[in-house]
Amino acid sequence: MSTTIPTGAGAGTKIDLNVSPVGRVEGDLDIRVTIEDGVVTDAWTQAMMFRGFETILRGKDMRAGLIMTPRICGICGGSHLYKACYALDTAFKTHVPYNATLIRNIAQAVETLQSIPRYFYALFAIDLVHEKYRDSPLYEEACRRFTAYVGTSYQPGVVLSQKPVEVYAIFGGQWPHSSFMIPGGVMGAPTLSDITRSMAILNHWKDNWLEKQLLGCSIDRWLANETWEDVLAWVEENESQRESDLGFFIRYALDIGLDGYGAGWGNYLAAGTYFDPELYDHPTIEGRNAALINRSGVYAGGTHHEYDQARVSEDVAHSFYTGSDAVHPWDGTQNAIDPHDGAKEGKYSFAKAPRYDVAGTGRLPLEAGPLARRVVAGKPKTADHQDYDPLFTDILAVKGPSVLVRQLARLHEAPKYFRLVMDWLSRIDLHGSFYTKPEDPIDARGYGGTEAARGALQDWVVIEGGKIANYNVITPSAWNIGPRDKDAVLGPIEKALVGTPIHDVHDPVELGHVTRSFDACIVCTVHAYDGKTGRELSSFVINDMV
Amino acid sequence: MVEETETPKPYELLDDGFEHPRCAVLLIGCGNPLRGDDAAGPVLVRRLWERDALPPTVRLADGGTSGMDVAFQMRHADRVIIVDAASTGAAPGTVYRVPGEALEQLPPVTGIASHDFRWDHAIAIGRWLLGPLMPERIDVFLIEGRDFGFGESLSPEMDAAIDRVADLVLAECVDG
Repeated sequence: MSTTIPTGAGAGTKIDLNVSPVGRVEGDLDIRVTIEDGVVTDAWTQAMMFRGFETILRGKDMRAGLIMTPRICGICGGSHLYKACYALDTAFKTHVPYNATLIRNIAQAVETLQSIPRYFYALFAIDLVHEKYRDSPLYEEACRRFTAYVGTSYQPGVVLSQKPVEVYAIFGGQWPHSSFMIPGGVMGAPTLSDITRSMAILNHWKDNWLEKQLLGCSIDRWLANETWEDVLAWVEENESQRESDLGFFIRYALDIGLDGYGAGWGNYLAAGTYFDPELYDHPTIEGRNAALINRSGVYAGGTHHEYDQARVSEDVAHSFYTGSDAVHPWDGTQNAIDPHDGAKEGKYSFAKAPRYDVAGTGRLPLEAGPLARRVVAGKPKTADHQDYDPLFTDILAVKGPSVLVRQLARLHEAPKYFRLVMDWLSRIDLHGSFYTKPEDPIDARGYGGTEAARGALQDWVVIEGGKIANYNVITPSAWNIGPRDKDAVLGPIEKALVGTPIHDVHDPVELGHVTRSFDACIVCTVHAYDGKTGRELSSFVINDMV
Repeated sequence: MVEETETPKPYELLDDGFEHPRCAVLLIGCGNPLRGDDAAGPVLVRRLWERDALPPTVRLADGGTSGMDVAFQMRHADRVIIVDAASTGAAPGTVYRVPGEALEQLPPVTGIASHDFRWDHAIAIGRWLLGPLMPERIDVFLIEGRDFGFGESLSPEMDAAIDRVADLVLAECVDG
């Protein structure tokens, strides 16, 4: 290991950087990178905290996942509830009424609508005011808009992010940590005023943030963009679009080069979410793909593949667990070992390494998230209820993946999901049924999946004798921050970090951009220090809140 | 683009034109139930709920895991009471009632992370989010803890002090 800190950008220098969280916040992720000649040449993502929910769930009542798993996350607990419930629906062989499917869809989507601005302003965009960019002609404007807490876009964006989850609370009783979805439907039936109020709240959010601040145009105008060329033309079409947060972000990101790095493997996974209420009234694992509105799929080596949960496995070769290296989640174990002992065997993370067995290729790491969803949405459509969206197929072909493209995918989903939610709200039959009581199984297996804002989120449950015999949650961040596997193949964020140019090793803001572009579920203050002397080189905040 | 002078304040954007039911008192318990005596706030909320003696105009909030959402709830309260554990070196079980002047000298909002959400953060975030919609009447009770270790149970001193504070808070909520 070379630990020389170069004084300039001299040739032939090699340096290891440890980017590690400190105590003020509960840091979950350390990043270690090797930098040669100012470019990252190798990377390790190290999740240093153990999440024991699966261990807690074993032996509990079979419905415990509805209560426990939403507590895994304070920002996407509704997504945890959604997939935990569908895992039980498949195990119980329930009937889910039309209205209940609509309400579940609405709840899942409004949580994601909340997450889009909260993530963009509070987690990602605050890095855009880094002084590295002070020579950009747009820097002053970036600071005016995006500075944490006081930025002219930051504050209204974060404050208004509460409006979509007010709609969640109308249907779910509260947000976060609701447990109102149950096998067979949802608890409670809305009134007409619940529906009209929800529509009014969402329209208020659209008028004041989505169209006015983010897009500078109608959602229909933005969604008419089908190519990268369309997007560039949209930016310059008029003053309002050019000066909107999205128009400005695209111009600024291109100016500071966020389209130039952070590509990753270019292989993607979407578990899919939102069901057509008529096609998934009897939820089964086999019938799931055909009923999805936002489709599931795997895109690897430039080819689309049908998603099959049976092809998912987890590898612990570099993770702090004992166990085999290709275990399906129904059979997964959680036998953690002391990190000090694990380190002797080359293990370096509490995250397992999820892999997907691509037909004809073998097991691959796949990126999860909005970009993955958008890539899968570019598959030719086979039924009317499916979301088809060619924009990111084109952007990938023309621009390739990058930090910028990942952000664009996230923001692009706000108008898409808004439109879906308004449609579902208009289709609820207030006099219809919202729940069909199921029979409890004795022994059964279930699988449920969804798309949390940050990507594919899935549960596998094994019920024996009416209790949970095994439970496994694979989060989008596990797909993305997972470590190397037994063949030493890098995880998606590790791969995305490789090739990143580092302007100043004393303050590597680019590592924050790449990691943050995945919205990895970490809360960390980051310190870079000299691996040899331990001298602290810099401290910069990736994340101040949420 | 809207001119600067026409831009509404962020808190003004929260108004969607609907009346929202108000509560006379919002009681927020801050703390982490997994860290010994730091559980004081959430435990107090739980005990008051189980006593079932609060008027319906009092709303209880667990500030342990809900973060920003609790700050948003303050918008609909006439008065806020916050309960949190403290570690000042005093005898465990000591109860403080923070005077109003102290509430004027809060840390800057920029140092806050939701995974480390103390009573003063709740107020600072609330003021940032809500501006003048933040309730003026805020009372803060702090209880000195003894042990804050991972997985510790409540110390006997804290356990008893929580009940004392619960009595105090209940009396305030009933008598106004």
